[in-house]
Amino acid sequence: MTLRLFLLPFVAATLVSGSAWAQQEGQRAASQVPPEWEGIVNIGVSVLFPDYREPWNAGQPSGGSGTGFLIGKNRFLTNAHVVSNATRILIRTTDDPKPHPAKIVHIAHDCDLALIEAENAAPFEKMTPVDFGSIPRLNTEVIAIGYPIGGDRMSVTRGVVSRIDFRPYSHTSVDSHLCIQVDAAINPGNSGGPVMQDGKVVGVAFQGFSGRVAQNVGYMIPVPVIQRFLKDIEDGRYDHYVDLAVSDFPVENPAQHKALGLKDDGVGVMIGDVEPAGSVGGLLKPGDVILAIDGNPVLNNGLVRIEGDLVNMNEIVERKFAGDTIQLSYQREGKKETANVKLKRFDPYVRLGSQYNQRPRYLVYAGLVFQPLDRNLQDAHQIRDASVNYVFERYLTDKLYVERPEPVVLTTILPDQVNTWLTPYAQSLVDEINGVPIKTLDDVKTALAKKDKPFIEVRLHEKNRPLILKRDLAEAAHPRIMQTYNIQEDSYLGRD
Amino acid sequence: MHRLLSILLFFVTHALCGGQEASKPTAAPEATQSRALLKVNVTAQPYDLQLPWQKQSPVNSRGLGVVLEGNRVLVTAQLVADATYIEMEQPDGGQKLAAKVIAVDYEANLALLESAIDAGKAKAFFASLQPMGIDTSARIGDAVAVWQTGRVGELIQTPLTISKILTRRYVVEGSGFLVYETTGIIRSEANSFTLPVIKDGKLAGLLLSYDSKNQVTTILPAPIIEHFLKDFADGAYEGFPGLGMEFQVTLDGQLREYLGMQPDSPGVLVSAVVKGASAEKAGLKKGDILLAINGHTLDARGDYQDPQYGPLSTSHIVRGKAYVGDAFELKIMRDGQEQVLKGKLTRKNPEDYLVTPYRFDKGPPYLLMGGLLFQELSRPYLDSFGEQQTENSALLRLNHIARHPDELEEAGRQKLVFLSNVLPTPSAQGYDQLGGIVVNQVNGRTIRQLRDLDAAFKELKGHTHVIELDDFPHVLYLDAAAVEQDNLRLQSGAYRISGLKRLE
Repeated sequence: MTLRLFLLPFVAATLVSGSAWAQQEGQRAASQVPPEWEGIVNIGVSVLFPDYREPWNAGQPSGGSGTGFLIGKNRFLTNAHVVSNATRILIRTTDDPKPHPAKIVHIAHDCDLALIEAENAAPFEKMTPVDFGSIPRLNTEVIAIGYPIGGDRMSVTRGVVSRIDFRPYSHTSVDSHLCIQVDAAINPGNSGGPVMQDGKVVGVAFQGFSGRVAQNVGYMIPVPVIQRFLKDIEDGRYDHYVDLAVSDFPVENPAQHKALGLKDDGVGVMIGDVEPAGSVGGLLKPGDVILAIDGNPVLNNGLVRIEGDLVNMNEIVERKFAGDTIQLSYQREGKKETANVKLKRFDPYVRLGSQYNQRPRYLVYAGLVFQPLDRNLQDAHQIRDASVNYVFERYLTDKLYVERPEPVVLTTILPDQVNTWLTPYAQSLVDEINGVPIKTLDDVKTALAKKDKPFIEVRLHEKNRPLILKRDLAEAAHPRIMQTYNIQEDSYLGRD
Repeated sequence: MHRLLSILLFFVTHALCGGQEASKPTAAPEATQSRALLKVNVTAQPYDLQLPWQKQSPVNSRGLGVVLEGNRVLVTAQLVADATYIEMEQPDGGQKLAAKVIAVDYEANLALLESAIDAGKAKAFFASLQPMGIDTSARIGDAVAVWQTGRVGELIQTPLTISKILTRRYVVEGSGFLVYETTGIIRSEANSFTLPVIKDGKLAGLLLSYDSKNQVTTILPAPIIEHFLKDFADGAYEGFPGLGMEFQVTLDGQLREYLGMQPDSPGVLVSAVVKGASAEKAGLKKGDILLAINGHTLDARGDYQDPQYGPLSTSHIVRGKAYVGDAFELKIMRDGQEQVLKGKLTRKNPEDYLVTPYRFDKGPPYLLMGGLLFQELSRPYLDSFGEQQTENSALLRLNHIARHPDELEEAGRQKLVFLSNVLPTPSAQGYDQLGGIVVNQVNGRTIRQLRDLDAAFKELKGHTHVIELDDFPHVLYLDAAAVEQDNLRLQSGAYRISGLKRLE
């Protein structure tokens, strides 16, 4: 079993106090900050953490601080996690006391990048945007610039490139991309700041290790990931990463190698599982062997060689965009096949990761609170029910999303005389209401609107009794419960 | 290491006793003794459920047995579970006699012991002892006493009063059994709570559990003991029958109205019926309203009025009062119509379940093939992972499957065979990280139980075993020749595995 280490996105937990910034105008000439670094700015953020336990409330106000840098005309690049759930964003440059309100232009949670712009572009017009480099060599020197904890002004730390690898990005906790490890000190507040080599940006500092296991381990988002993001938004819209949505199983076993009919050239990785809703659903099946993607041979361990380095085969797909095509060469029962695959985003993945900038969706009826099951909900409610945990944990691997695209949980029952016998059944998965199968939260609304029977009948997953409410009693109790528990709106089903 | 520790403890205990003796008054008090009690010393060694070819460290426990007619001794099943050695010891004289289990019921938590050696010695051992009778008359409010023996066999009595009589599960999963509950402090002289509870010199029950925080004692009562002994007396022990159904209380007025029940009408909602069990055979269905069992009307909680105990859960009507083979009668309401269902009580043994609910004394079935360890899924196996069950993805899935045995049983599975672990061998190279995956087919043969797996591996025609799984990576290949080599290495190499399979 591999040791699981937790990655911590770097956002300083406390609000940056702006007063310490006040500098004398006259000091500008004496500033130690070189002019080409003027575009590296501090980003102060006020946020509202959505409340998934009381989804009708606005949430918990908090704040944080990170770094961003000018990459074009009034365009600042930073991390998505720096500006997630923001209610106010303020840009401050290192030698200017004035905060500049800003807003998000594009945000890509899956690769933890965001583009923001100042509401007033004028103060930044004379600044020079930074240039991008490429993937730095191992053991070459880099510097990280930003506004980490430990002071208010710009900070520079230095180190070398330690490793280039495919790693999980902790912001969503489900996405993995190319990632570069450096041993320059990267601390909370560095997030979103540039890592530079020879005057060019080679990465965006974004996460490190928490705890005391590892030392001098910081990670940056490398240029290919940044450029992919910038290219994706060129059409004015972020379309997300695309995915093969297969699980590969390395061919290490001699009998497996022989049975799959592979040559001794080290090429070919077995497919262990295929997501039916993914790009190759319906094409590949477990036991097939992927031989090459776009002509790049895929090795027995699932790696491909790109620009001299061995990287995960997904890296080829990673650099593509929704709607792009790849050529897949694979082997089935000893026979070689080739197919062109149109790539698409694999949506069920999103639910398993943390989501941001979203108002929690819910529906309350007669004190019964229904919410869609996703990581945000799980994190907030810490549900212990075995069937809810099973559905969440195995949502992908057991293809549960096919039958139940948006599992709905009866999370809370706000006690009232009408539902007093039902309270033990909170935190259960909802199967059916009034005969309507509940596949999404919207189905709850549809099902409750069916008024052909005098009873409302809620059937829960693996609970052997229906929850019954007399419609007239429930209708009478509903406004009373809304008022008692201080709920303004009885549902938020999302923007249409 | 273990031996050393126990020697150390032994000395400590003696030193303590010496200290107590010194502080005692010089005039020795008259000690009463019971001739019906025997110390029972047990060494138990459960199997390692995750590495099933080996056993865990032996554990010692002590309890008190009650001498019954025919030189037999009654203890709880818990005390003798997985026993490797049992002995009976006279509390005063210290004479010992090796013992064996002649009847055990882990659901009812009762076991009957007998001498393990020749009758002559046993006769002499039991000569000074006197069997104790059984008293099933206890009611709420009655005074009882827990009997224990001191260092030299003197009787130590702890008086208790029965405050509640209810039904509850004893040790293993299953329907509830009758329980007396009392409150009061007990200090155990032994290291287990297998102690007799006495009413007017007769056996009223055996101590089942003691919650020292709340000082609540539960007692396995005489009526269950009597049932156990009666069942055993006819030579063929059959065990306690069960209806095999679950019900939901109908206190909720809105639910009652929905079910078409009158405000004060009796009955509970049948919420699950176990396949192949008594109730299903009699025609009971999920959704029926169960009104009465054997003429006893059930209230909205599922209680009937017991003449001796007052309101008591319906499970006692079947579990406590009836035997396997007895006729039973269910009065139900279905689609607004009252009906009477009749049947004969049966019992579903643990082996008859897809996922074995409990197993003692026997090693878990397994099969090792070149490092791949296959087992049959059991509740104790899942429970051996403790809290991990709610977090680990493979365990969550196995647990989910265990909760839905019906579909798999219908598909012809008798047991759920799964790949539980992979030992690092050359033939299993690349498979080390796998575990907790259900096996569907091997070499083309459908796997319904572990024996099928054994047969499938034996009947291979080619050179490669093909194992089909129901989850990632769905298929594994093993080189037959390499597997044979590894099998030899597993037995003689570092793992020193005594046997490559246990098929029961």
